[in-house]
Amino acid sequence: MTHLPAQSRTVSRLLGSIDDLLRGTGSISGLEDRSPARQLPLLVIILVIFGGAYGAVMGGFGVLEPGHAVQIIFGAIKVPMLLGVSFCLSLPSFMVLNTLMGVRSDAREVLHALLSMQAGLTIVLASLSPFTALWYVSFSDYSVALLFNGVMFAIATLAAQWILRRAYRPLVARNPRHRSLLRIWVVIYSFVAIQMAWVLRPFVGDPASPVTFFRREAWGNAYVEILRIALHATGHGYGGG
Amino acid sequence: MIKALGSLDRVLKGQATDVRTLRAGTIDVSVRGLAGLLVLLGAIYGICMGTFAVAMRWGAGEARLGFLQMGYSAVKVPMLFVFTLAVTLPSLYVFNALVGCRLLFSVVVRLLVAALGVTLAVLASFGTIIAFFSLCTTSYPFMVLLNVATFALAGLLGMNFLLQTLHRFAVAQTPMPEVASSAAENAAPPPQVGESQPLAPGLATPPPIRQATPPGVPGALDRITTTGIGPQVRMVFAIWVIVFGLVGSQMGWILRPFIGAPDAPVSFFRSREGSFFQAVFDKVEDLANGNNPHTRSTNWR
Repeated sequence: MTHLPAQSRTVSRLLGSIDDLLRGTGSISGLEDRSPARQLPLLVIILVIFGGAYGAVMGGFGVLEPGHAVQIIFGAIKVPMLLGVSFCLSLPSFMVLNTLMGVRSDAREVLHALLSMQAGLTIVLASLSPFTALWYVSFSDYSVALLFNGVMFAIATLAAQWILRRAYRPLVARNPRHRSLLRIWVVIYSFVAIQMAWVLRPFVGDPASPVTFFRREAWGNAYVEILRIALHATGHGYGGG
Repeated sequence: MIKALGSLDRVLKGQATDVRTLRAGTIDVSVRGLAGLLVLLGAIYGICMGTFAVAMRWGAGEARLGFLQMGYSAVKVPMLFVFTLAVTLPSLYVFNALVGCRLLFSVVVRLLVAALGVTLAVLASFGTIIAFFSLCTTSYPFMVLLNVATFALAGLLGMNFLLQTLHRFAVAQTPMPEVASSAAENAAPPPQVGESQPLAPGLATPPPIRQATPPGVPGALDRITTTGIGPQVRMVFAIWVIVFGLVGSQMGWILRPFIGAPDAPVSFFRSREGSFFQAVFDKVEDLANGNNPHTRSTNWR
């Protein structure tokens, strides 16, 4: 019988957990062995490794420009931040709403499903990073690179939604109220994550601009900007502000 | 504090307002403990609200004023609820007594404190999101509207809890053997773990079903599908909920500033002018027209 070194066993366990997560075998079943408290360190590891991996690739757009290599490190820090902090900010209100709607007894499964969704999003995102790298090698237009990354995030979000719905299926079967709460989670999380992404930009890093962790004009409001663009597009103008 | 947290938890889970519990004729919560916790929750939300004032004044050497506004907000959010309750409670009790509601004054107080517990718990739970937007948003109208939306959501849930609990009181006072909730009807029966799984070696009895809420206890907002509440009482409470909302809104306007407009001096109260609804309408207009009259200091970062 071969004895694997401790590090190999840890990597093997991590990969096994990821496989369980993607296949859905670790979502609801086996809760006795996988409490949210025990899952949290795993989520943090997945966020840092896989989110960091996509962030690093994402920030590599201008790597050939002098001094822009550091954007890779910024990206590797900011993508896990975007996902992790948005999750933490959205969770308290969602759990209170769960309690009020009378499904507090399912809190453990709910938290488990949300953690699975979050981890799934990060893993799918990381799996798409080779496409992003290929795109960067192929095309040099910054705006199109932004759009491509937007598409990658959209795909990862859709996949994460699928994981979340799968994890929620037994909960919805037990109590249909979970279906509404699932929608509420998507609204709250999206509302926070969109603003978080706005605050943490640049992720890709324009090669023509100096490298910064936060953009000088970053502190603003994504929704006000969207309103500004929409009003401008419809010819209503916007006074600024 | 732990006891108060336990009381609030039971209110949020619907255990304190379960029909079987209400048959005792009162809500089993500690008013004093819960009231203290509500003040704390209000103060937490006030601090989150006041984060905007700190952020806007941070780089301009006026951080102290920002923290002063934050302190004012932490005091004023609990005040908002206490004063609104003080204005509306006497008339509620009097009109209820007039239409023949059998709830004692102490029970009405418990009911309202519990409803405010729901409102403030929701409000405080959204505090993280409010603080986050406060830290990174320059648009004052946006922050006003976001806070108004959060207050409206919390208020609606709290008042819904109040109406449902009142309904349960009426049901509890009606001699009925079985009470079913809509949630209980919709939901499938709880899984019988012990029946479907083999027993673990050495266990003489099936493992207990893990369930935080006792079986059959409807959620705090679940509607009990039984008639029983008098139409007059229902109407009085429905009107009271509207009045509470209107009074609360105007009380918020009187007690302003909570968020603290960046270009306005920090003060505990502002002079009397306009109304809450006019102000909200103006902020929507400001946002749509792109007017942000209250701009952040350029040295903020």
